[in-house]
Amino acid sequence: MNRLDYVVLIATILAIPVYGLWRTRGSASLGQYLKGDASIQWATIGLSVLATQAGPITFLSMPGQAYESGIGFIQNYFGQPLALVVVCAVFVPIYQRLKVYTAYQYLGRRFDQKTQLLGAFLFLVQRGLAAGITIYAPAIVLSALLGWRLNLTIWLAGGLVIIYTVAGGTKIVSITQRYQMIVILVGMAIAFVVAVYRLSPDLSFEGALSVAGKMGKLEAVDFSIDPHKRYTFWSGLIGGFFLALSYFGTDQSQVQRYLAGGSLKESRLGLLFNAMVKVPMQFFILLLGAIVFMFYQFEKPPVYFNQPAYERAMENGYAPQLAVLQTQFDDLFTQKRDAIRAVSNASSNSSSNERDVAMTRVRELDVQARDVRNRTKAVLEQAGADPKSKESDYVFITFILQQMPHGLVGLLIAVILCATMSATAAALNALGSTTAIDFYRPLIRTNASDHHYVVAAKALTAAWGLIAIGVASFASLVENLIEAGNILGSIFYGSILGLFLAAFFTRRVTGSAVFFAALFAQALVFVLFATTNIGYLWYNFIGCTAVLILAPVLQQTIFRSTETPAGV
Amino acid sequence: MRDNEPDAHSWRKAYGLALSLFAAEVVLLYIFTLRFS
Repeated sequence: MNRLDYVVLIATILAIPVYGLWRTRGSASLGQYLKGDASIQWATIGLSVLATQAGPITFLSMPGQAYESGIGFIQNYFGQPLALVVVCAVFVPIYQRLKVYTAYQYLGRRFDQKTQLLGAFLFLVQRGLAAGITIYAPAIVLSALLGWRLNLTIWLAGGLVIIYTVAGGTKIVSITQRYQMIVILVGMAIAFVVAVYRLSPDLSFEGALSVAGKMGKLEAVDFSIDPHKRYTFWSGLIGGFFLALSYFGTDQSQVQRYLAGGSLKESRLGLLFNAMVKVPMQFFILLLGAIVFMFYQFEKPPVYFNQPAYERAMENGYAPQLAVLQTQFDDLFTQKRDAIRAVSNASSNSSSNERDVAMTRVRELDVQARDVRNRTKAVLEQAGADPKSKESDYVFITFILQQMPHGLVGLLIAVILCATMSATAAALNALGSTTAIDFYRPLIRTNASDHHYVVAAKALTAAWGLIAIGVASFASLVENLIEAGNILGSIFYGSILGLFLAAFFTRRVTGSAVFFAALFAQALVFVLFATTNIGYLWYNFIGCTAVLILAPVLQQTIFRSTETPAGV
Repeated sequence: MRDNEPDAHSWRKAYGLALSLFAAEVVLLYIFTLRFS
C-alpha cells in the first residue's frame, strides 16, 4: 500500500461516519434513538439489512471459498428469499402494530416477562460474542498482511464504531450502512471488472469460465440428495430457510434495521429488496473468486497464501523442506499452465477428443498441486506457524494487494473495513437497545424519564462495544474463528426461533410452558454440540422443533391449570 | 396496522413477484451450471 491507498482508505472510512454524525446532530427522543425517524425509507432499510448480514467475512472469505471449493456455497442462500417473505407477511406486521423497540418485547406481551428475558438473554450472549469475532476476523488478516499491529487495528475499527453508534443510535447506523454498502458494492464491481481484465490474453472470458467449470469451480446448483454433500439445493433451501427465518425474524440486529422509520410499507419493501438481490450479489462475489482462480492458473500464485505464516516457518528452520515443496509446486504450475493452453487451443480447433485429453491432464495436475499445498500446510503446522484463520481467507486480499492498481487497493481495504464497521454498528446498536429495553427499564429503573433511557441506551451501547473489543482481543484463543461465528449463531437461533413460532402459531401455550421448553431445547442443543458431529445448520432445526413439540406437551401436563393467554 | 383488503392483495402480488424472481435466478444458475460444467 502506498500513500494514495492510505489517503483513499482513511478518507472513505472517516467520511461516512462524519456525514452520519452531521445528519443526526441534535438530541433525540428514546423512540428516535432506538428506531430512527420517518426519513428512513425502504432503500436505506434494504441496504442496511444487506450490510448487517454481509459483514467483512463475505468480502474477505467468499472469493477465497470459491477459489478453493467452487461457487456451490451460493446454495446456502436459497432459503433466504422464502424466509424473507415469511418475515414480511408474519413478523413485521406484528412488530409494527405493537410498536415494539425490540423483538423480545413481543415475547413479553404474548407470554410473560421471564420468556422475554430468556429470548433477550440468548440474543445478548450470541450476538455479543459474534460482534467480537466480526471485529477480529478481518483484523487478523489485515494486520498479518499489512504489518499493522493487531490490537491497534481492533481498537481503531472498534473505537470508531463505538463513537458514532453511541452518538447517533439507529438513525446513524442506517445512514452510514447505506453509504458503506454503496462503497462496498462499487468497490466489488470495480474489483470484478479489473479481475476479468487481468485474465490471461491466452484465454477468452468464456474460455476461462469453461476451463474453471471443468475444474469443478462453477457448479452453482446441485440437486443431489446425498446427505454427505455439504452444499446442495435441498440443504440450502430447507436448512437455509430455518437459519434465515431465525436471523431475520428474531435477531434484534436485523429487526432493528427493518423497524427503523416505523412504516410497515418501507420495512417490507426493504426486506423484499434483499429477497431479490441477495442471491445475485453472492453469485458475483463467488464468481469473482472463480475468476481469481483462473487468473492464478496463468500467474504463479504463492504456494501458501498466508505468507506471514510461511515466512515464520522458514525462519523456524523449515526452509529446506519448504524449498523442495516450492520447486515441486513451480514445476506443476508450469505444466498445468501449458495444459490449460492446450485445452484452449483444442477448443478453438474444435477437436473434442484432444480437448478431453488435455482437460484430464489439467485435472490431474491440479490434484497434484493441491497435494503439494496440503503438504506445505502440514510443514507449517509442524513448524508451529499454523495460523488461526483459514488459508483461503488470504486469497482475495493477496490478489488485491499484488494485482490491483494503487488507489483501488486503498478502496478495497476500505470495503473490508466498511463491512466490519457496518456489521459491528448494527450489532452494538441492537445489544445496547436490548439491554436497555428488556433488562434495564423493567428491572432496574422502571419509571425514569425518556432522556434517562436515551443516556442509559448510549452507555450500554458503549459498554457492549468495549466487550466486543475485549472478545476480539482474546479471540486468538479460539481456533478457526470464522467457522466459530457460524456455529455460535446456529447453537442459539433454534431455541429463539422456537419461542417466536410458538408465540405466533400456538394459541393455547402459556409463558411457563414455552419458557421451560426453550430451556430444555437449548440444553439439548448444547449436549448435541458437545457429544455429536451433526452439521451445525441442523441445530437451528432441532432447537426450534424441540420448543414447538415440548411447549404444548408441557402445557397439557405440568402447566395444565395455568390460564390461557388472550394472545397478541 | 392490519392490512386492508386491497393492500393485502398488492402485498401478495409483491411476494409472488419476489419468489418468481428467485425461481428465475435458480433456473439461470442451473443453466449456468450445465453450460460450464
